[in-house]
Amino acid sequence: MSTTTVTTAAFGPRNRESFFAAQARNRRATWRMSAFCFVAALVMGIPLSLTITPLIYAVALGIASAINYFHPLPPEFWIWAEHIGRTGINFIIQIGSHKSAAGWSGLVPGAVIMLAPGIALSLMLWLGVLALFHRAGVGGALLALNAREPNPARLDELKLSDVVQEMAIAAGLPAPKIMFVDAPGANAAAIGTSPNDARLVVTRGLLEVLNREELEATLAHLVGAIGNGDLSVAFRVTSLFESCGLLLMLLNSPFGLRSRGVLWRIVRYGLGGPRSKGDPAEAQAVADVLVGCAGLETDDIDRMFDPTRKKSIFRSARDFLLFPIFFTNFAIKLSLWFFSGVLVGPAVGLLWRTRVYLADASAVQLVRNPDDLASALQKLAATDTTVPGGDWAAHLFVVKPAVGSEGRRPSQVEMKAVAQAWATASSVSSDAANASSGVLQQSTAAPVTAGVAASTMPFAASPIAATAPQFSVATPANFAIDPARFRQEIFGVYQSAMRGDAPSIAKLSAFQQALATAEGAPKMEMPNIADLATARRGDAAAIARLRTFHAQHVAPHAPPDAKSAAPKPNDVSSLSFVPFHPGVKRRLRRLNRMGAHADASSDPGMIKVAIVIGLFLAPFAIMLVALMLLLIAILTLASVGFLVVWLAVIHAIFTAVVGH
Amino acid sequence: MSTGLVLLIVAAVLLVWTIASFNGLVNVRTRVQNAWADIDVQLERRHDLVPNLVEAVRGYMQYESSTLEAVTRARSAAVAAQGASIGDRSQAESALTGAVGNLLALSENYPQLRAVESVLTLQEQLTSTENRIAFARQFYNDEVMKYNQLQGTFPRNIFAPMMGFHSAQMFEAASAKREVQKVSI
Repeated sequence: MSTTTVTTAAFGPRNRESFFAAQARNRRATWRMSAFCFVAALVMGIPLSLTITPLIYAVALGIASAINYFHPLPPEFWIWAEHIGRTGINFIIQIGSHKSAAGWSGLVPGAVIMLAPGIALSLMLWLGVLALFHRAGVGGALLALNAREPNPARLDELKLSDVVQEMAIAAGLPAPKIMFVDAPGANAAAIGTSPNDARLVVTRGLLEVLNREELEATLAHLVGAIGNGDLSVAFRVTSLFESCGLLLMLLNSPFGLRSRGVLWRIVRYGLGGPRSKGDPAEAQAVADVLVGCAGLETDDIDRMFDPTRKKSIFRSARDFLLFPIFFTNFAIKLSLWFFSGVLVGPAVGLLWRTRVYLADASAVQLVRNPDDLASALQKLAATDTTVPGGDWAAHLFVVKPAVGSEGRRPSQVEMKAVAQAWATASSVSSDAANASSGVLQQSTAAPVTAGVAASTMPFAASPIAATAPQFSVATPANFAIDPARFRQEIFGVYQSAMRGDAPSIAKLSAFQQALATAEGAPKMEMPNIADLATARRGDAAAIARLRTFHAQHVAPHAPPDAKSAAPKPNDVSSLSFVPFHPGVKRRLRRLNRMGAHADASSDPGMIKVAIVIGLFLAPFAIMLVALMLLLIAILTLASVGFLVVWLAVIHAIFTAVVGH
Repeated sequence: MSTGLVLLIVAAVLLVWTIASFNGLVNVRTRVQNAWADIDVQLERRHDLVPNLVEAVRGYMQYESSTLEAVTRARSAAVAAQGASIGDRSQAESALTGAVGNLLALSENYPQLRAVESVLTLQEQLTSTENRIAFARQFYNDEVMKYNQLQGTFPRNIFAPMMGFHSAQMFEAASAKREVQKVSI
């Protein structure tokens, strides 16, 4: 019996883990994931290199032929070049026909010839991007956030800089600079390239939502992340995707103005010398384009081969000549898209998750109380975490910032402001109702069906209706106002106002006015409530006023179509289907292991549903991946074949011209 | 010949190990000294801040003159202990921590203090300084732990004292010495 208990104790869940042990475990996990990322990048690099290499040879051969025209190269060079070409072509043929004349070891020279130049070019691009953006620092990125330094004359901002100092002392690091953002969303991030130029971005919302201990824990997470070297990890990850974008730009450059423009900007920035270090905005602009490019937004080539374009013999000839490059481009795009989405993106996402857990454990080491970080995470999970202008660095924040302003949850500050406005409206409306009731009483008699009102004014109710559901999701557990009851109350008054009830109309109008002047309230344009009510009765003037209101305030902000409403992938974390931030429950569970007492239980029903869906979808996903791999293999081989034929033709033409 | 080669290799490995562990010990010792200097900076900061706060609240807290006196006395004792050993210093500073904590807690009973901007700022500064001392102490003690672990384990515990490395002393928090807070309502 005793053996059983010993075994269960040894293999059962570890119910308590010291933060040092947690850090060591997460460091090991980081090493594992780094190795995985390396392998993933290698796997992505092989088809990529295979397709790029013939292009490099083509360019080299073109240059050599041009030189040869003016200054004949020694015959050994051409023999050598031909030998390389033969080995490479044999390699492709053998791979394509699944058999090798000289065994697999005979393939090695061919493989080296076909892969080495592509790998070398990719590495050079990566190192170049690293050097380029390391020089620029992060100054430009901060411009988008509209951040400022905290003002020590204000008590809450003094508290913030004090807490940062405390955490830096606890971690034995130089205190990072603070960039304060006057935004209602509660979030914070550590950005920079090294611990020496690290900056903490903190929003006003964070100071309002968290108490001092929770603020300490949150900033300890960031300071710990800086101490763990997360900034350089993030920097390398970003540059990996940026160099993919740069590669695509290079391939696109024969076809498109936009790519050439960006390339020119990069070259100009790179050659700008130490002077251009003062222009980090330019570097950031270029970096944005490159990361966006890794999301495959370049459409120069597609435009070039647009069938609706005007046809001419010259263009047809050029298209025919450039077809192999176009095909290669397509193959590279496809394999980049596939491998970065299925392999490299998730690998990097998993790597980054180990860094987040590691920073959590470091935060516990610094503040010595896992409950502070746990309650901070819970609070942040329940509030608005949007950071305007911060989506380029979503992975650097403590918790994943909510995307965009659509459908976001209102912050506690906003909720408070709205509630206050409602309270003022309730007290004011009782007087105002008496004054305005006389005017509206007459129009109540006019019979108008709700159907007519709904068809003429489909938009009229939308601003209120759209804001009302927002209140329902804002349910931080400790919040004093009951959002459901609040929403019901507003909606009830709204409905009676639409039926022409004068006190309700007065109350809503007062609410509107109070909302417009209240500090911290969400700014939204709302139509005149009295107009809404009278328009339902068919009042032409009111309808006209609402139409102009709609044209001025509602229509410009509505997304015109689904395509432009889709978020632009300009953050690396948007390139991975594995989120860069682990779920709050997972983080809480790990904090609980270090001694926190947070509720981290997840809904068991949801887990079952996820497992069932996963079991059903897994075979399809595997089949899809296999098909894509096959397609990429075929495309890669075909594009290499095209390029080889193309090379041979060019070489033959040159030989004929030069008379070699 | 082969024995000579083996001996040479063993000697080389020993030499490399000695150099590496000596340098490692020096690194950690430097970090311990830095951490101690950081504590010192924060203690100085507290010594400078305390008289300001006492002066600022004196007018509002006339009935707490004994607490104010205790803070002033503890501060003088801490300043006097600056040249003393780490043990004496940590005792004197702990007494000051307790006295300042009492003062901050008592000041919660005076709502009129909450309206005075300068007092609030001083309070925040002092609270932060207390935290900084605590965190600097935590960092120092962690570094001391690492250092003592490194130089106390075999076989370094034999060689380290010969090379002039001695175990460092922790900066203790004498929480038992903290006075019980007396609140008269």
